[in-house]
Amino acid sequence: MLKRSSKWLAFVALAMLSAFGVTACGSDTATSTSGDAEGQTVGFLYVGPKNDFGYNQAAYEGSLEVEKNVPGTKLIQAENVPETSEASRVMEKMIKDGATTIFATSYGHLQPMLAVAKKHPEVTFEHQGGVKSGANVGTYFGQIYEAQYLTGMAAGLSTKSNKLGYVVAVPIPQTLLNINAFELGAQSVNPKAKTTVVFTGSWCDPAKQKEAADTLIQGGADVLSQHQDCTKTIVETTEKAGAMSVGYHADASSLAPNGWLTGSVWNWGPLYTDIVKTIGEGKWKGSKYDADYRVGFADSDVIELAPFGSAVTPEVEKQVLAKQEEMKAKDFYPFEGPVVDQAGKTQIPKGENPTPAELETTDYLVQGVVGKIPTGK
Amino acid sequence: MLEAIILGAVSYGACLIFAAEGELIAERSGIVNLGTEGSILCGALLSFMVTVWTGSPYIGAIFGLVGGALPALLHAFMVVGRKADQLASGLAITFLGLGVTAALGKSFVDDKINGMDAIGIPLLKDIPLIGSAFFDQDILTYLALLVGPALWWFFKRTRAGLILRATGESGDVVYAYGHSPRKVRYLAVTAGGALAGLGGAQLVLATTLNWTENITQGRGFVAVALVIFASWLPLRAAGGALLFGAAFALNLVLQTEGVGIPSFYLLMLPYVLTLIVLAVTSKGQKQMMPAGLKAVFAPGGT
Amino acid sequence: MSAPDATVTTGEESRGFDPRAWVPTGTWFKIAAPIAAPLLILLIIPLFGIDVPAVITRSVPFILAALAVALPARAGLINVGGEGQIFIGAVFGAAFVKIVGGGLPLPVMLPMVLIAGTIGGALWVGIAAFLKAYFNVNETIATLLLNYVALYVLSYMVNGALKDPESYGFAIGAMLPDSALLPQLGISTLSIGIVLAVLMTIAVWLLLDRSRWGFRAKVVGGNPEAARRGGFAVNRTVVTALLLGGAIAGFAGVVELAGTELQLRAQMATGFGYIGFLCAFLVAQRAAWIPAGAMLLAAISVYGDSLQLDFGLPAASVYVVMAVIVLFVLGMRGTKTKGAN
Repeated sequence: MLKRSSKWLAFVALAMLSAFGVTACGSDTATSTSGDAEGQTVGFLYVGPKNDFGYNQAAYEGSLEVEKNVPGTKLIQAENVPETSEASRVMEKMIKDGATTIFATSYGHLQPMLAVAKKHPEVTFEHQGGVKSGANVGTYFGQIYEAQYLTGMAAGLSTKSNKLGYVVAVPIPQTLLNINAFELGAQSVNPKAKTTVVFTGSWCDPAKQKEAADTLIQGGADVLSQHQDCTKTIVETTEKAGAMSVGYHADASSLAPNGWLTGSVWNWGPLYTDIVKTIGEGKWKGSKYDADYRVGFADSDVIELAPFGSAVTPEVEKQVLAKQEEMKAKDFYPFEGPVVDQAGKTQIPKGENPTPAELETTDYLVQGVVGKIPTGK
Repeated sequence: MLEAIILGAVSYGACLIFAAEGELIAERSGIVNLGTEGSILCGALLSFMVTVWTGSPYIGAIFGLVGGALPALLHAFMVVGRKADQLASGLAITFLGLGVTAALGKSFVDDKINGMDAIGIPLLKDIPLIGSAFFDQDILTYLALLVGPALWWFFKRTRAGLILRATGESGDVVYAYGHSPRKVRYLAVTAGGALAGLGGAQLVLATTLNWTENITQGRGFVAVALVIFASWLPLRAAGGALLFGAAFALNLVLQTEGVGIPSFYLLMLPYVLTLIVLAVTSKGQKQMMPAGLKAVFAPGGT
Repeated sequence: MSAPDATVTTGEESRGFDPRAWVPTGTWFKIAAPIAAPLLILLIIPLFGIDVPAVITRSVPFILAALAVALPARAGLINVGGEGQIFIGAVFGAAFVKIVGGGLPLPVMLPMVLIAGTIGGALWVGIAAFLKAYFNVNETIATLLLNYVALYVLSYMVNGALKDPESYGFAIGAMLPDSALLPQLGISTLSIGIVLAVLMTIAVWLLLDRSRWGFRAKVVGGNPEAARRGGFAVNRTVVTALLLGGAIAGFAGVVELAGTELQLRAQMATGFGYIGFLCAFLVAQRAAWIPAGAMLLAAISVYGDSLQLDFGLPAASVYVVMAVIVLFVLGMRGTKTKGAN
């Protein structure tokens, strides 16, 4: 009787040891300390894994630049932080570990962040993609739809079938703006170009992404773009099928040596660095970062075009870059009216140019997009 | 449009076929394995890792079997060896698999592999409608299509299959005939897990070519439901998995056709459809359920 | 199966080491131990640097989700659908607030919100109960499948009808008005959720162990055929037990909404239903012990922050710790009815 139970105990002990051994193997150093203790401790929250060839990787790489460029900075990184009250717990823990600045890089981290910010007026909070700020909370974002307009042009000029595909997670203004900009860009150079959208309902489900990409290609699309958090599967699937890719979030040209056109990518490093520096100098209060800071091509290099791939002809490249120059010079805005939605209703009258805040309320798809918004609107 | 649905049914359903047939083997021996989700995850990750290291998805697939078998072996030990509650043990093992693969797989998220290539069968693959779905696939997907018929033959025609089925009905009778029901159950659960692991390999080596945390998104639980949906019959389980895949593919195809049904309804469709079929077919299921499972699903014997 | 199945020898003595054999068994102990155990856990965890209020907050949905499993289990029913019932509870709570608006005072509004969520959970499990009663569909499978449907319902609501109009179109529910929020206890971020969870535990314990209905459920769960012959209304007991379980899970969802999340979120309460299931089995479905089990799992869950921030492990690693503990206890205890025979 005792023998049996002691065997079980020994087995459990062994199992536990191996389980922890196993998990420990998967660990890497999350907190990296460099240099003196003078500098700031900066916490970063990501909604997904930091190596997802997508949104989170872009933000993660930006954080590493802060560490490199602001001496003495200590980073605390948290991946896969859900957009729930769990995020506030993670932030509390970061503050306990010494963080004086916290970047929350996903929209859904906003409310948890506001709750924590109220309790910790001594800590500075920066929110990525938000729409409002508190006393010690700033928000920033880039108008990436400007880049999506340009990639749409590249797609419109490169397509042979005049069918473009777009794999999207869920219908929020950010995704709808990107789809619209992409289609408008394509139309501007190729009036026959139509964009078919598929909503997968989740930000990173590779199997669904693969089926969605296959379905679009089967339907005749020969250029695929996307708005997902992890982008690798769609780019690879597209490449395998011999179609062309427009990347999103991060440069994935290495995954598509043949079909890569270009992509819209984030370049957060300089912005993060400047924000952290401003905070370190004690100048954050009242600065442009202590507000709703959002920029496009004209004012910063937060958004960029990924390098052009071999599938792009020099003429296409020239045309796209010329349009980018126009945006930089504030001579051109992607959503300058008239913009007409799928039902034929004019959403932005001729000559009008909505502000970024107005664009953030977009709840329609433009004419030329095939597919419906999944909430049935 | 129909062609796209059939193709989607096969490529989305292949992983489910493996998982459901694996679950079916275990249940036929009298043991429910809610750890199937964990087995798929472990099979997927191990096969992906080995493929990254060796460069060969075929060697990777073999390790998918191993990865899936290990959690199932633990489940068999818990349930047969330690008489633990089947549902709780299985669910705990799913959590274990989720945690272990999340930790170990973390550094593999950005790895690139060359997955399995499609091997088309000449002439057959040009058949309209079904050619591309059934005759222009990778090895693992072909295998998935064969698992159902193979199991059907195994149960129907082989002595081992007979013993397995008998074990699920009554351990005592099997014991009386000189076989160890204990050994049979260990084997059945482990083999079932190995099959589920192969499903995981199919998922990452032939479909996504990528690893992410929780890549299965509940396929293992769907597999458990499909087995009951199929009244423990291998061919029906394969059909159910394909139907589930088709319902999913239908969602995507309808979207690309611009049909105005909110896609959230379409996302629910496979699950609702499974429930409806369960309701319609449940009359016959009572007799079909292996007697050994009644203690799990209907304690007290309703 | 009592026949000589050579694989497993029958009888209690073969189970080996049973810790319960070594502890006192007096009545005082039966009452004191389940109360002392969770408090003991709360006393120990600060030594590991774990935040006590955070653990208590997290234990609330675990306690309720576990009760939602333990109650139907008494009547022999397996509710794996806590996950979905929690989602629907939260959706119903948020929908109720949206329909009624924020005009009512807290003493009226809050109870109504909680009731709305509770009804939501009961209705959701009601689908499974209906399928079981009229189509003989196994509730284990039905509740499991309904989890996925519920997930998409939540997702649809957050993206559609219950989306906050002020959120600039982002997929998130509106902040609940103050009148719909659980009052704070004044200690850190603790709400009265824990009080509600403890009260619910006592209620379920009384129902299961001290009431006529609990006895009836036990008979039905033990041997429905005999119960039927003995004149018990088996179907009614089964359906009631399942509905009550779903109601508690729905309550868990709306308490999480009104006490912790404060707005409907697509990712809220993910995995809580399943953890509650494990919790119920961790304590052998004894209602009185559920707070202790939930507190332990909540402590592990919160410790995950530390695993991630201090050791660089992914947050999901906490599942490894939880699973190992549950497997350990399951293997230690074995079961009389549901293990392989």
